[in-house]
Amino acid sequence: MTDLDPVIHAQGRLRITAALATLDPDESISFPRLQELLGMTAGNLSTHLRKLEDAGYVDVAKSFKGRTPVTYLSLTRAGRRAFEDYTETLRSFLGGVS
Amino acid sequence: MTPDEPADEGLDTAMDPAAALELLTSEQNRMQRRMAAGLPVILGAWGIAWSVGFTMLWLIDGLAPGFRMPLPIAVVTFIVLMAGAVVVSAVAGARMGRGIRAGAAAAWTGSVFGLTWPVGFAAIFVLGSALLSAGMSREVANIYYPTASVMFVGIMYFLAGGIWQNWGSIVMGGWIVLVACIAPFFGYPTHYLVFAVAGGGVFLVATVLTAIWAYGRRDSGTGRR
Repeated sequence: MTDLDPVIHAQGRLRITAALATLDPDESISFPRLQELLGMTAGNLSTHLRKLEDAGYVDVAKSFKGRTPVTYLSLTRAGRRAFEDYTETLRSFLGGVS
Repeated sequence: MTPDEPADEGLDTAMDPAAALELLTSEQNRMQRRMAAGLPVILGAWGIAWSVGFTMLWLIDGLAPGFRMPLPIAVVTFIVLMAGAVVVSAVAGARMGRGIRAGAAAAWTGSVFGLTWPVGFAAIFVLGSALLSAGMSREVANIYYPTASVMFVGIMYFLAGGIWQNWGSIVMGGWIVLVACIAPFFGYPTHYLVFAVAGGGVFLVATVLTAIWAYGRRDSGTGRR
């Protein structure tokens, strides 16, 4: 199990990463919409996002909708790759030993 | 653990691969369902508009001489239902897409696809006017306008399935094109009934299927459906 990426292998961050991976590679989602879809508290979501951002897995883009600041989130190329590797590793753990 | 550290952090290390894979698939499944929550609403609005709207047009002469739906009532109902479905689609579509920022390529595709609708209907209308001035009878015009419009809708659904890789949309589009090819052979006014039943029907079937998928019981998250 040591091979599992510790950044992703945590309940909250796995949910966030899995959700972001359903978006197209050049799509991004606003913080409030992601929060609503995941049903997480803002604090919990921010904490996990910071760790994912520090690992270079999530891109946090600040922009403005009118005068209101909006934060858009998306997986980086490295994040998408890491999620695919993570999923593959899980599958190999579960079905790989024959 | 700092105060703002999530409470579930302690449990995280205990998550075994099977539980992790389960969580991952159910999360993705849930996300896709919730993102598509407006789909049954849109399809339902069009299902009602087509079924009721085309039935109203059929009733103008369909049951004559026993019963005749007054022409203004039938036409106004048809227009109101179609306009209502456009509004429902716009609102539900905007709600589904809120907070999602498309990439430049996807935004371009979406805009051009969206613009194709009014361009197509305008072209159908102009061609109809040209045919009328070239001597097309009112009876043939009654067949031309709805059939050309229905065929265009079918082509657009087929195309949408190709662009956004959705077999459901391809099947639906193919079926609607087929309905448009067959309905004129029934002649006026029965072709309206064919559009109501076979055209409206496919929207209603799609409404039920997408509703079951989007709102259905949350299963164990095996990733199937």
